[in-house]
Amino acid sequence: MTSYCRPAILSPKVQQGESKQSFPHCIKQPCSFPKIPQGRLLKSQRKITMSSKRHSIVPPVSQSGPKPPVQFSSSITISDSALLTGTNLIAISSESVIHPRAKLDSLAGRINIGRRCVVHERSVVGAVGTSGRITEAAVTLGDYVTVEVGASIEAGDTVIGDGTTVGVGAKVGAGAVIGKHCTLTPHTEIAAGEVVPDFTVVYSNGLRRPDRRGIAELKNKGQIRQIDVLRRMIPSNPAKFD
Amino acid sequence: MAAFVPYTYFQCPCSDSSTLAQSSGSNSPSSAHPDPDDGGIDDDSDRAFDPRAPRSNYSLYPLEYLLYCEDCHQIRCPRCVAEEIVTYYCPNCLFEVPSSNLKSEGNRCTRSCFQCPICIGPLAVTSIETKPDPNLLAAPDSASHSGPYALTCSYCNWTSTEVGIKFEKPNSIHAQLAKLRNGGTSRLTAKERKERRKDPAYTSQRAAAGSERESSDWQEDLDLETQFANLKLFYQSQLADPNSADHGLSSLGDLGFSSPSSLSRIMSIYTGGSLHDKKAKSRVGAMREALESDEGLQLADLDESAAISRLRQEGYDGTASTEQLLEQPPNLGEEHLHGRARFTAELRPIPYLLRTKRSKRCPVCRHIISKPEAKMQTTRFRIRLVAGSYIPSIAIRPLSLSGAGGSFSSSSTTTVPGAPLEPLKPAHFLLTFKNPIFETVKVTLGTPARTPGRFASKVTVLCPVFEIGANTDVWDEALKDSSGSDRDGRRRRGKGDEGGGGGSGGGGLTNQIEVGKIWERGRNWVSIVVEVMPASLHLREDEGDLPLREEEDVLEIPMFVRVEWEADVGGDEVGSAAHGRDSKEAREKRELAYWCVLGLGKIRRS
Repeated sequence: MTSYCRPAILSPKVQQGESKQSFPHCIKQPCSFPKIPQGRLLKSQRKITMSSKRHSIVPPVSQSGPKPPVQFSSSITISDSALLTGTNLIAISSESVIHPRAKLDSLAGRINIGRRCVVHERSVVGAVGTSGRITEAAVTLGDYVTVEVGASIEAGDTVIGDGTTVGVGAKVGAGAVIGKHCTLTPHTEIAAGEVVPDFTVVYSNGLRRPDRRGIAELKNKGQIRQIDVLRRMIPSNPAKFD
Repeated sequence: MAAFVPYTYFQCPCSDSSTLAQSSGSNSPSSAHPDPDDGGIDDDSDRAFDPRAPRSNYSLYPLEYLLYCEDCHQIRCPRCVAEEIVTYYCPNCLFEVPSSNLKSEGNRCTRSCFQCPICIGPLAVTSIETKPDPNLLAAPDSASHSGPYALTCSYCNWTSTEVGIKFEKPNSIHAQLAKLRNGGTSRLTAKERKERRKDPAYTSQRAAAGSERESSDWQEDLDLETQFANLKLFYQSQLADPNSADHGLSSLGDLGFSSPSSLSRIMSIYTGGSLHDKKAKSRVGAMREALESDEGLQLADLDESAAISRLRQEGYDGTASTEQLLEQPPNLGEEHLHGRARFTAELRPIPYLLRTKRSKRCPVCRHIISKPEAKMQTTRFRIRLVAGSYIPSIAIRPLSLSGAGGSFSSSSTTTVPGAPLEPLKPAHFLLTFKNPIFETVKVTLGTPARTPGRFASKVTVLCPVFEIGANTDVWDEALKDSSGSDRDGRRRRGKGDEGGGGGSGGGGLTNQIEVGKIWERGRNWVSIVVEVMPASLHLREDEGDLPLREEEDVLEIPMFVRVEWEADVGGDEVGSAAHGRDSKEAREKRELAYWCVLGLGKIRRS
């Protein structure tokens, strides 16, 4: 059994009661007093090794699969770690923002992204679903559409109308048609082929209600401001995908 | 099927009829025939605890749920403590509400905290932006934070404008909402109502409306509040009117509801006795009932065609669910409910219900055993005597046979934890008792040899009596470990363990299962082995055996635990003060005994 002795100061009980013994084993075996395991280095002793650049802990984005033909507007913002794969055309209209690690997959057909859309991290636009059918236009996003983090929109003539928000982790099935200015709250699922009328809020495991706020224009205004900020935050590199 | 997780439940003595009888002072006639076979078990055990008895359901708790009264030296469960409310607060704004406000203003937050009536999400006050006039040259952002406000839900996008409610100010929404009816019309106050009655314009308008239709059919739509006010006014005037006295029927009318005396009694219940004057009391006689809406008569509106057509239009989704209706606070300003359907379009925002912080008292000695801090922002407790810091915890781990020669290892590599137990094959479990107190405790275990119930499994506790070391400083253990085989280590290993050859922390040594030996031991914990022979779950249908009930395949062992230790005499105890006068070092023997249930595993069905 490996053991290392400690200074008697640490335990006053030992100091009083067993001072006569004075740690006989210390004499027998060579005692290396400050033998503190490496993990217990004092804070002052610890070398602070911080690189100036911040690194992500997730593995780097690896471009796999075919490189799709693209048709970008000159005013878009697209991070170079966005993932664009597939064989069909990916068209992104003016002032839209594609976050890092967003995935656009045009394997099952063409992908159209309208003006001033925001596609967040880890969302998948054009996910090849269970149907696996190839269509003319796999996914069409209207103008002012927000696809939030981790949402997934399956391919197969899927249409998301203008001003619609697809919430965090929501799923839109293949061939679903979402109307204009809808809100899909986080983790809602829209079945394949479903038609959601304009101004619908889908909430609480599929309950629906009409949105009567009448703030579509205001939301668009907010979107413009958000894109303004994102444009400054996300380094854009559309040349990578040409 | 989910894997079985072993569990330990402790029985609170509050539901035990025999302990209740004992505490009340009667001499319990227990142990008429003491069983000599039950070695370490005391008198209580001749009436073994049955964990499957319907009564046991209500007395078994995990250790974390239990409290402990330091003065009675007894476990207290959530069922037997007396609760007292420390503070009331709003869960949304964390504002403390004094109990005097509670009586006057009710149990809901009276600030600006509201829940969405559709999805119960929190509502936020937002300004309704009016479209900026393009003719004006002012900056578009300058006028954004003024103007009417509305409550909006950020989840389901409900707004209070859907029910036509807008607010003038962004604060004190509750007071503003109380004055508003759905659709934005303001509620009448009592004063306004009185004034309206006198207003000649109002009466002439009413008369015109009345002459248009047949006068007997016409009635005003009254809301609940106005109707009550009208009715009250009418009956008050009836009581005051000396002409209403009808002496011919006085003897009969005295009993019925139409008599003024009984009516004044009923009215005094609601209005606080203002009518209870002697003048009214002395007068007897029948009085007429309300005949028009001015007097508070409201005919039931049986015409439901409007509701039906609306239902057709909006469908089932447009109607409010039962939950939504139950959440609605009472609203006196609304219309009468006769023949009215409820639609989601009529739901009002819900003020948040207040929550409470509660302190807990021992029901016997009235000492506080749990008291949270009164401040809302802190989640700490001032006093919290949890049972986990007084009684040993019991952890269960399956012990599996590895290799040959009867040597065992406690690793879980060979058995999957939570795997079903083979019937009629002995299985071993490691029970680890961990002592939370700063004294060495002596533990005595007792189990019935066969578990109660239809499928009796055999149970043997291999070491029913042992001592657990005190919960001392962690460094002590490190020091004792370093001293290897000196006398400290031997003392801790205990009297029954020399033959086992098991080191406390040493790996590589094989432990042997031996009767009367402790399996493993540490600073403040001891592991012992329990051997069980699970019963076969074979049912003989032809002999009329009932099918297996729910959870009947779980092997549960009732275990009686008696903990003895010596503690310093507490200074605040009256009885012990006399003892401790001689010397300050006086020790007193303490004992705690309770039943617990060990759920070991599921028996495989044959």
